[in-house]
Amino acid sequence: MRVDVTGSVTVVTGSHSHGQSHETTFAQIVSDKLGVPFENVTVLHGDTGRSDYALGTYGSRSLAVGGSAIVKAIDKIVAKGCKIAAHMLEANEEQVEFEDGQFKVADSNQSLTFAEVAFSAYVPNNYPLETLEPGLSEKAFYDPPNFTYPAGAHLCEVEVDPETGVVTIEQFVAVDDFGHVVNPMIVEGQVHGGLAQGIGQALLEHGVYDESGQLLSGSYMDYTMPRADDLPNFLVDTTTTPCTHNPLGVKGCGEAGAIGSTAAVINAVTDALGVASIPMPATPETVWRALKHASQA
Amino acid sequence: MYPFAYHRPSSLEEAAQLMVDADDGKYLAGGMTLIPTLKQRLASPSDVVDLAHVEELAGLNTTAGKMTVGAMTRHAEVAASTAIPALAELAGRIGDAHVRNRGTLGGSVANNDPAADYPAALVALDATVHTDRQRISAVEFFTGLFETALNEEEIVTAVEFPVPDAAAYEKFPNPASRYAVVGVMVARFGDRVRIGVTGAAGTVFRALALEDALAADFSPKAIDGVAVNHADFNSDLHASAEYRGHLVSVLAKRAVARLA
Repeated sequence: MRVDVTGSVTVVTGSHSHGQSHETTFAQIVSDKLGVPFENVTVLHGDTGRSDYALGTYGSRSLAVGGSAIVKAIDKIVAKGCKIAAHMLEANEEQVEFEDGQFKVADSNQSLTFAEVAFSAYVPNNYPLETLEPGLSEKAFYDPPNFTYPAGAHLCEVEVDPETGVVTIEQFVAVDDFGHVVNPMIVEGQVHGGLAQGIGQALLEHGVYDESGQLLSGSYMDYTMPRADDLPNFLVDTTTTPCTHNPLGVKGCGEAGAIGSTAAVINAVTDALGVASIPMPATPETVWRALKHASQA
Repeated sequence: MYPFAYHRPSSLEEAAQLMVDADDGKYLAGGMTLIPTLKQRLASPSDVVDLAHVEELAGLNTTAGKMTVGAMTRHAEVAASTAIPALAELAGRIGDAHVRNRGTLGGSVANNDPAADYPAALVALDATVHTDRQRISAVEFFTGLFETALNEEEIVTAVEFPVPDAAAYEKFPNPASRYAVVGVMVARFGDRVRIGVTGAAGTVFRALALEDALAADFSPKAIDGVAVNHADFNSDLHASAEYRGHLVSVLAKRAVARLA
């Protein structure tokens, strides 16, 4: 995390963003914690020549792990800022608190903005040079002590056309507990994408090979990716039980949609058909055969 | 894509001559099949003759009892036409909006893709295909899998559809491509019933047994007693022949239910 002379912040993260909006969520955390305007925070990722080695983005971990590393870096920036501010305000370091983007001396009206302290860190005319190196740039690594445990319940209502076997999803409700949510819109978007993926697995997506190993479903003319008109309007909500072992109290959200929805859809289909199981994807012909088989049994 | 010579004739005569002169020429209508085929390097014609500027191929006319559609008419235009609502509905369900604004009737029938929608309409409505050399009934025109009665340089110029008393098209779209896994057009002209089936077999066909049953009793239940022989039907990753046979009955019933 690099704070420049004007107090703008650049975060270089080893957690890569390929559509998960780290640029927004990570900048929100920095903006909230340092009181820096959101637009003055830049998040850089995707260049291992610039960032230290990190394990990257997988397993719904970017916010819980990468975000926690950012919080640790912020804590280091604030700790150094308190030392600089104490010197500038001629106070004891223990008396300086950081709150709402201001370094304040307890029980006084003396304070400095984050930008004023950043300026002094690079133009150290009034700076504790004997004890503190100039500049305001910190690095933090974080390895979580435990997994996070998001939990949720997904409800699916399907209608089956008994003549053709076509399954239509009438309603889909997903309620998940992701701990604290930094950006509700992004979380909802991630859940939507996950639901589409899970529903695709349950009903549509099918990789087919012939006997000689030739892939038959080799293009999107044959491989059915879920599309908007294959899906209902999702009803998505969250409950909040903060994670107990990371500084943001957050849990992973990226995979929840894809995990809950496949089972919910297939459970709804087997319930509608009165069968114990059905192979995935439950294509119209597969459903039609299951119905035929059930009626003959 | 491999290189080719591109031509843009403005008359039928010029187009046909360009094709005669070409080593291995291809006509380009809407390009909905040809262009992807070229891009995937599955075809390497020496010359592509674009028919977009041939005026004789444009236009859509309705006279007493007939609707004549120029070969270069886009699906979207047919979808917006009113003379034969079932044909408009069929055209409106081809592909997606992009395809409907580029794809043409002439291109579709000349290609005779086994899963294309239009052939079902041509057969059910007893349409006549006009070319620069002949007039031929739809049933004779569609000869097999991607095969038609067209000769080398022959160009489809228009399709003439008799306006039926009633018609309906039911389609079971491939969930990925939106082509017809099976498509059934049922048309009624007085006591006469014609059914065109696309998607199910190597090429479009008339469902004669269903036609006879419906001529005697035009009701969905008349179809229940008729076995659809699926022996020669397509079996692929999207549907087995048996399922396609079942869909022919279901879709025919649904089309009749809309008309009865």
